[in-house]
Amino acid sequence: MSKNDNDIDTEFCHIPMGDGTYRDSDQKDKITRMIILGPGCAVSSKELLNFLHLLELPINIRLTCYGANLNGYPDDVMTAVEKARQLDPTHIFIKFRGFPPGDPRRCRAKRGGAREGFHQIEAEYKLLSEVSYALEHPKHVDLNPAKKISVDEFSNIVDEIGLKKEKD
Amino acid sequence: MKVAIFPPNSMILADMIVRSGHEPLVVQNQMKQKVTTPDIDAPPFNMTEEDPINGLKYAAIEVPSGVRGRMSLFGPIIEEAEAAIIMNEAPYGFGCVGCARSSELTVFSLRHRDIPVLELDYPTSRDDTIEMVYKINTFLDNLDKDGEEEDDD
Repeated sequence: MSKNDNDIDTEFCHIPMGDGTYRDSDQKDKITRMIILGPGCAVSSKELLNFLHLLELPINIRLTCYGANLNGYPDDVMTAVEKARQLDPTHIFIKFRGFPPGDPRRCRAKRGGAREGFHQIEAEYKLLSEVSYALEHPKHVDLNPAKKISVDEFSNIVDEIGLKKEKD
Repeated sequence: MKVAIFPPNSMILADMIVRSGHEPLVVQNQMKQKVTTPDIDAPPFNMTEEDPINGLKYAAIEVPSGVRGRMSLFGPIIEEAEAAIIMNEAPYGFGCVGCARSSELTVFSLRHRDIPVLELDYPTSRDDTIEMVYKINTFLDNLDKDGEEEDDD
């Protein structure tokens, strides 16, 4: 969408994103993923950023305190995400994101205060060290909880134990 | 297989589903449709009058329009779900709580679909968290096996 478009429908969306583009003018087919580095991750967010830049993919990369935000066409973003995950598979987590990075409706640079989704990341970050441990030591468990026994069965067991004690 | 999660924006649940090769149904994907479509891109009016009408499928007309509006976001997740992972007893603020009634209605609708559902409690200790991850992985691996058996039939 160019700046000189005089179409009334497109003019409605002319809110600058700060990077030369206008809000959502080119976002319809793009996706956003957040790469979140868990506690004890082998790479820092700066190293991750360098790695992503060296992939030379046509994506928008935004460095953040918890990792990076990637925005671009689905194939490119998913390639970058998969390669980034291979850096440390059990400590790098991926989150979906609806709003593009720097969107004035969500970006804290425009609004002030933490972005709403940041509190969710903060809450989940506390669990990530245990999640990483579990991913490093995979195990299968029984999903069916232990069933309660009937009263008759229980009374039979009590009687049996009582009889055994009497014999002793 | 498409797996619905609750809270519908949980990073841990969505990430574990992606790791096991399934597709998570997250609310961010629904939000993306809302915020990147130019015709409804007019904050704070991202909800259009159509949304509460779509929500009528899940909640009656006397239910507040906020619940129906939210159900129009959660609705496609419920419809598409082939399996679900629900985390109960999550502390306030974990996930996109917003409206407790919408959350209850979403969980209710997921439970009443004829799909495999894994219900977990929010972990409060290290052992519980590790157990939770094991349970999710086992559930997702079982989905693979069930899917293969259906294909064989």
